[in-house]
Amino acid sequence: GGEYQDFHAFDLSEATRVLEWIDDKGVCVAGYESLKKNEILHLLLPLRLSVKENQGLFPERDFKVRHGGFSDTSVFDLKHVLDTRLLVTSGLPGCHLHVWQVTEDSDVIQAVSTIAVQEEEGSLWPRVAIFSSMAPGVLHGARLRGLKVVDLETQKTTYSSGVGDSEELSSLQVLDADTFAFCCASGRLGLVDIRQKWAPSENAGPGPGAAARRWCAEVGGRRRGPGPSIASLGSDGQLCLLDPRDLCHPVSSGRCPVSAPSPAPELLRVTWAPGLDDCLAVSGFDGTVQVYDATSWDGTGGQVEPVFTHRGHIFLEDNQTDTAPLVTTHTWHPHKPRTLLSAASDASLHVWDWVDHRAAC
Amino acid sequence: VCGVNGRFAWLVEGGAGQDVGRSCILVSIGGKNVMLDCGMHMGFNDDRRFPDFSYITRNGRLTDFLDCVIISHFHLDHCGALPYFSEMVGYDGPIYMTHPTQAICPILLEDYRKIAVDKKGEANFFTSQMIKDCMKKVVAVHLHQTVQVDDELEIKAYYAGHVLGAAMFQIKVGSESVVYTGDYNMTPDRHLGAAWIDKCRPNLLITESTYATTIRDSKRCRERDFLKKVHEAVERGGKVLIPVFALGRAQELCILLETFWERMNLKAPIYFSTGLTEKANHYYKLFITWTNQKIRKTFVQRNMFEFKHIKAFDRAFADNPGPMVVFATPGMLHAGQSLQIFRKWAGNEKNMVIMPGYCVQGTVGHKILSGQRKLEMEGRQVLEVKMQVEYMSFSAHADAKGIMQLVGQAEPESVLLVHGEAKKMEFLKQKIEQEFRVSCYMPANGETVTLPTSPSIPVGISLGLLKREMAQGLLPDAKKPRLLHGTLIMKDSNFRLVSSEQALKELGLAEHQLRFTCRVHLHDPRKEQETAMRVYSHLKSVLKEHCVQHLPDGSVTVESILIQAAAHSEDPGTKVLLVSWTYQDEELGSHLTSLLKKGLPQATS
Repeated sequence: GGEYQDFHAFDLSEATRVLEWIDDKGVCVAGYESLKKNEILHLLLPLRLSVKENQGLFPERDFKVRHGGFSDTSVFDLKHVLDTRLLVTSGLPGCHLHVWQVTEDSDVIQAVSTIAVQEEEGSLWPRVAIFSSMAPGVLHGARLRGLKVVDLETQKTTYSSGVGDSEELSSLQVLDADTFAFCCASGRLGLVDIRQKWAPSENAGPGPGAAARRWCAEVGGRRRGPGPSIASLGSDGQLCLLDPRDLCHPVSSGRCPVSAPSPAPELLRVTWAPGLDDCLAVSGFDGTVQVYDATSWDGTGGQVEPVFTHRGHIFLEDNQTDTAPLVTTHTWHPHKPRTLLSAASDASLHVWDWVDHRAAC
Repeated sequence: VCGVNGRFAWLVEGGAGQDVGRSCILVSIGGKNVMLDCGMHMGFNDDRRFPDFSYITRNGRLTDFLDCVIISHFHLDHCGALPYFSEMVGYDGPIYMTHPTQAICPILLEDYRKIAVDKKGEANFFTSQMIKDCMKKVVAVHLHQTVQVDDELEIKAYYAGHVLGAAMFQIKVGSESVVYTGDYNMTPDRHLGAAWIDKCRPNLLITESTYATTIRDSKRCRERDFLKKVHEAVERGGKVLIPVFALGRAQELCILLETFWERMNLKAPIYFSTGLTEKANHYYKLFITWTNQKIRKTFVQRNMFEFKHIKAFDRAFADNPGPMVVFATPGMLHAGQSLQIFRKWAGNEKNMVIMPGYCVQGTVGHKILSGQRKLEMEGRQVLEVKMQVEYMSFSAHADAKGIMQLVGQAEPESVLLVHGEAKKMEFLKQKIEQEFRVSCYMPANGETVTLPTSPSIPVGISLGLLKREMAQGLLPDAKKPRLLHGTLIMKDSNFRLVSSEQALKELGLAEHQLRFTCRVHLHDPRKEQETAMRVYSHLKSVLKEHCVQHLPDGSVTVESILIQAAAHSEDPGTKVLLVSWTYQDEELGSHLTSLLKKGLPQATS
C-alpha cells in the first residue's frame, strides 16, 4: 500500500547488485555477469531530485554517467573509501579484491591494484567493509576464519580474526574506528573490537530450523535514545531487532508478508533509514521493496505490514519474460528522509519517495 | 593515378551546452566535399551563432567547393544557419533533406527570423525572401532511396526517429562511404519509431553523442508526471496552457490526456487551437506517407479529430470560468494565440503553463523557463507571471545504449563522436572500441580528423599478360601478392592491365629504343678486322652462356649487343671498340664493357 511522492524509473545497460553512495550526489553501480566484461559506473543523480523548490524548471531528470570503468570479473560488492577517490570491489572469482580510482580529469575509472585474499572455493566471495581513517583499511572475509583487515596502501595485514571457524559470512559492517559487526549466513551475529584478540559479543548461535534459512543484518546509524539498532533478516521473512548490548535476545521481531522464501537469499538486504526513527527497508524476496515502521509492531514475531511497498519493478516491466524481476539491492538517500534507490535483475534502477501517512515521524 | 588512397577529413563547429549547440560538419570523401547540417547556435545573438564558413575554403566559391549540403532534420541547431549560408555567404548547389523537413524547415526559419528581427531588432539576419530562395535549392528525398548527386556521389536517407522527418544519411563515393546520424533515437515513441539502419558497413559512422552520458528516465514516468501536473492544476480549478508547434508531439500528449480523462472520468474541457488543426491536416498527410507501416497502423486509428474529450478551440473560450486544458501554437510563446492565452492566464497562480521543449532566447518561453516572473510586453506593460511554470521535454536522443545499438547495426570500420562540449568521453570511446573492435574518434570543435582508407580497385588483366606471367614458371600462390610488370590503361572508369607491347599497339604508339654506346680503347697495332677477330675469340671463350657471333661485316655481337672495331683517328696503334646495347641489356652491356676494358689476351702465334 502507500502513495508515491515521486517516482523515477531508469534502465541501466546492465543489472547491478551494488548501490554505493559517493557523497550525496552520486552512486556507483556495477555489473555482475560472470562471462563478460562488466562496467562500473559512477552516476550523478538527476539535478531535479536534488532540489526541492521549482522542480518544474529543472529539465534535468536524467542520471549522468560521470565515470565508467571495465571489470573483467563480476562485481558483487563495491565500497567507496571515504574522503578518497578510491573504490574497492569484490566478486567472483573470490580470490582478489580490486581497488579502483575515480579521477577528476578523466571519465575512466582506473584499476589501481588488487588485494589477494584467502583462497576460497566455489561460489564464496569475500564481504568487504572499509575502516576509513588516515590510513584506510579494508576489512574482508568470506568466512570467519579468513577475516582480515588489510592496509589499503601498504597491503599489510593489520588485523586478523585468528579463528578457525569456517562459518560463512553474510554481512560485514564497520561501526567506528575500532569495531565492526558481522552476520553469518546461519544467523550468528557478532560485534568485534579490533584492538583486542578475537572476543566478539555475539548471539548464541543459530536457532531451531536455522539451517533452512539464510540471514543478513545491518546495524543502524542514527539513534535517538536507547533501543534496538541491529536488524537481522531471514530468508523466510523473519525480521529481528536486537540491542547491541544483548545479542542473544531480540527486542522485537516480526514476519514480513512474503509469499515464498527468497529465491536468491544472497540478495537479501535490510537497511535502516538514516533519516527516520525505527524505519527499515527490506528487499530480496521478489520485485518489491518494503518499508517498515518497527514501532508499530507488537514484536512477538507475527506478520507485520509494511507502511509502503515499492512495486515499480514489477509494474514497469516492459518485456514479458518468464521470470519476474528480483530486486537486487536498495539504498536510502543520505539526507532526503523518504527517498530510496532500488535496482532489479532486469537492469532497472528506480528512485522513489513515498508519502508517510503515519501521525508523527 | 589519383584516388588510390581515399582520405576523409572533417570539421565540426559545435556549440557549448547540451540543448544549445549547432551542428555543421564537413566531410571530404573520394574527392567530394559534403556539408552535413548547417545549424544555428541558439545561445549567441551575434555572428557567433553562425558557423565560420571560412574554415571550408579561404578563397574560392562554396558552390564550386561543395558537392552538396545535407540537412538531417528541422531543428534550428541543424538548419538554422542555412539561409544565411546559401543566400548571404553564397551557395547555389543542391541541398538535400527529407520531404517533411522540407515542409517544416521554412516555417521554423521564418518564425526564428521574426523573433530575431522583429522582436530583437537584429540586423545582418536573413530575410523572408532569402528563406524562400534558399528552399528553392532543396531537393527532397525519400527514405531508402539512392540519390545520385553526380555520377560518383550518391546519398541515401534512413529513418532516424527523434522528430518528424529526421533522417540519417549515408554518403557514398565508389566503395567508400560515411554515415551521418544527425539526431536520432533508438527507443520508439508513441508516434515515432526507432532509428534503423542496415548493415551497410561504412568506413566511418559519425554520430551525435551529446546524450551519451545520460541515462534517461522512462517515458512512462515522464508521462505520468505530466498527467499528474495537469490533473493537479485542473483539480484546483486552474487552466493549463500547453504551447506546441505542430503535429507529432502534440498528438501524443492528446492521446495521453484523452486516455487519462476517460479513465479518471474527468469533465474539464480540453481544447486544440484552430491554428493547429489547419496545419495538422497538412502535416498529418505528410507524416502518414512518410512513416513506417507499424506506426501508421497504430497511429491511423487515433485521428486527431476523433477525440472524445478534445474539441476545437475558440478564442472566446479563454475567458470561460473553470478549469480547462488548451493546446495552442506557437511553441515558444513568442507570438500568436499561445501568447495571447498566456497573457490572459499568467496572473492566476492556479493556472499552469507546460513548456514542451527548448525555447529560443528572446522568447517569452525562454524567459519564464529561466525563472523570470515579471515580463515586459509591448507598450512597456509589465506582466506578472503567477501561474505555475513547468517544463516537460519529450524529445528523444540516443544515449550510450542507443549509440551502441546503432554501431552494432551499421557495423562501421570507425566511429566518430560529435558532441557539443569538449568534455571527456574516454569511457564511451573505450566501450565502443572494445565492444566492436573499431577505432573511435572524439575530436574537439574545429579539429580535423583524417582517416586513411584502402579501397579495393578492380583491375582487369589481359589474357596475354597473364599467360606470359604463368609461362615464367613458378605457379602463382593465390594468397601471396605477385609483382607484375605491365601497363595500366584507365579508360571510361575501367582499369586494365596489359603488356607494354599491347599497350603500344592499342595506343598506336611506336616503341622508343634506348641505346647506350661506350668506347673502349685497346692498344692493338693490327688491322681492325684482326682486332675484331681477337675480340670475338676472347668473348666466345669467356661468355660461354651467351650467344657470341662474328658477323660478315666484321662486327661482333653478344646477344643483341654490338661491338665494332675502328682505328683511332690519330693513333694507328690504338683501336677503338664501339660497344652499344639497348636499355634492356644494360646489365650485360656493363659487364661486357668492364670485361673489354681489362684488355684482350695476348695472341698466340
